[in-house]
Amino acid sequence: MKKLEIFDPAMCCSTGVCGVEVDPVLVQCNADLLWLAEQGVTVNRYNLSQQPQAFAANPAVLKELEAGMERLPLTLIDGQIVATGAYLSRDQLIEKLDLIPSAPPASANPFRVQTNSGCCKPGSGCC
Amino acid sequence: MAIPDSHTRHLFFTGKGGVGKTSLSCATGLALAETGKQVLIVSTDPASNLDEVLGVTLGQTPTPIPGAPGLFALNIDPEAAAHDYRERMVAPYRGLLPAAAILSMEEQFSGACTMEIAAFDEFSKLLGDPAATTQFEHVIFDTAPTGHTLRLLTLPSAWSEFIDSSTGGASCLGPLAGLEKQQALYAATVAQLADPARTTVVLVSRPETAALREAERTRAELADLGVSHLHLALNGVLAVAETDDTIAGAMMRRGAEALAAMPAGLAALPTTVTPLLPLGTLGLDALRQMANPALIQAPGDEPDSDCILPGKLSGLVEELAQAGRGVILTMGKGGVGKTTLAAAIAVALARRGHPVRLSTTDPAAHVAEAIGESVANLTVSRIDPAAEVAAYRAEVLAKAAANLDPNGRAMLEEDLRSPCTEEIAVFRAFARAVDGGQDAFVVLDTAPTGHTILLLDAAEAYHREVSRTQGDMPEAVRQLLPRLRDPAFTRVLVVALPEATPVHEAERLQADLRRAGIEPFGWVINQSLLASGTRHPLLRQRGVSEAPFIRQVADQLSQRCALVPWLSEPPVGSDGLDQLMQ
Repeated sequence: MKKLEIFDPAMCCSTGVCGVEVDPVLVQCNADLLWLAEQGVTVNRYNLSQQPQAFAANPAVLKELEAGMERLPLTLIDGQIVATGAYLSRDQLIEKLDLIPSAPPASANPFRVQTNSGCCKPGSGCC
Repeated sequence: MAIPDSHTRHLFFTGKGGVGKTSLSCATGLALAETGKQVLIVSTDPASNLDEVLGVTLGQTPTPIPGAPGLFALNIDPEAAAHDYRERMVAPYRGLLPAAAILSMEEQFSGACTMEIAAFDEFSKLLGDPAATTQFEHVIFDTAPTGHTLRLLTLPSAWSEFIDSSTGGASCLGPLAGLEKQQALYAATVAQLADPARTTVVLVSRPETAALREAERTRAELADLGVSHLHLALNGVLAVAETDDTIAGAMMRRGAEALAAMPAGLAALPTTVTPLLPLGTLGLDALRQMANPALIQAPGDEPDSDCILPGKLSGLVEELAQAGRGVILTMGKGGVGKTTLAAAIAVALARRGHPVRLSTTDPAAHVAEAIGESVANLTVSRIDPAAEVAAYRAEVLAKAAANLDPNGRAMLEEDLRSPCTEEIAVFRAFARAVDGGQDAFVVLDTAPTGHTILLLDAAEAYHREVSRTQGDMPEAVRQLLPRLRDPAFTRVLVVALPEATPVHEAERLQADLRRAGIEPFGWVINQSLLASGTRHPLLRQRGVSEAPFIRQVADQLSQRCALVPWLSEPPVGSDGLDQLMQ
């Protein structure tokens, strides 16, 4: 089974529930990753503010970071970068991971997220 | 003894703001040091006035107190602690990660949560690591206001429960990443607190219903945490012989009534009573008097004060009424009477025929109770954190969960139990309340200082975020900071008592507001004995000592100010509140 890695921007948490408004992209993404893990995919998720060592240890990720923070989030499959600057939809992940679709497809549009616009805004009283 | 006589190594003082935690912890520390013990006093309160009480500038390491051999004190500055914490998290990656990445990490570690965790981290080092305080026989903590203290103490257990029960793995645990490694230290800290052989928690209260109610809430919450070695310290009790002075009589009667109605849980605790002192509690001599009331000299026959008193609250309300609408915020430290003043102003504006909405964020407030009966044109509401959180959760689930499968939904529900959710929900309620000021008067009594500043800080951060993204943000939130900064829309009243510490604290609050671009409209000096007309010697002496603080506020600190006397009848109900205007 393939290995999926997500490198998130610096944020308080990756679920999208703790901003002034819930970020539906993050909520959906979190649910998709959970579903993939249940299908047997190895899923690892790294947040820049909490697991910076994972970013520093991966040359391909570092190279993207140097190109600009808007390259985050990064999606890697078996170490290869397959998406930058947006989370993939469940359908897209299924396709890239060569899985057989079995769940109702979610929205097909990858949404752009801004660096730091994830879960907790700095100084939001949350983190 | 007029102060807690406890022989545990650790002593904690907790209670509603303004009840005298710092004074009592210093008096207790001084008394222990004067029996030859080595004593350390620690403040973890962001609004600490330990320096003022002990008369020396303190830092983050134990400083000897001049004139008190064996007594040391230190201040944990949450901002400095947060800075150190941020550096610990970020510094190893400088040079390894691009500058922009470092910057975004730093931003993420600049919020209130980080500050709270950092302060707790420092606190745990002192309590959970015996080596840190080995030279001291007693360590006394002048802790932060109750709610804050409890959050600091309960966070680790709440969070470890949250980790255990979380189904999804990657979850909203925020800055916990840096905290998990310290689990053992935090566990040791909580264990120390719960050990009656090592720790006494002193619940400090004034002989007042609200303060006693707060102490009882703390007692119950501590009991839930397994902390049961408690002591009740009643501070500022007026106990004199027969008096024909109306004010002194009323003060004694109200104190006695409040104590008689004390919750049973509190009444069962070992209790000490510290009398009301004729002078303040700054300096070592005053602290010695606190511990040994026999040292107090009978008040002499001092001349009346020739202090020119500021105008009445009704004059200030007259000016406020001219705008016809807008937001009025009463701000100040806990215990200065923000809620009562907000209610009195709201009633006075409503009586002039203006539509008024009174709203409170203070969890200890009983605004509806204070109004007593319905007043025409006035509506009263409370920003109730529990209700706000429930509504917010329901809203989020309705909006976001529609497309989620059962597991995704379960995970979202789990995440909505995180500690952040309440902050967000309350913030949104505050923004909504301020929004109401467009077509009516909205009077808000804000929660204690630190929280107030957090709200403003959050408003600022959101404002920046909103300006950049123009995303799916409620209009009320988008407008919040510009409205708070607009003197034609928002009028902030700083509330203080005519005593050294409350005035200095309010001065700091005003400086914080100015940094956020908000200029207070005026000040209200509350509960003045000087203005009360008392002839009782002790109260008169306290009244005369108010004069320099009243003049400092009127002449230097405020654009306009009003003085409200100490009232012989409690300001309850709309008629009771009218007294504040007279």
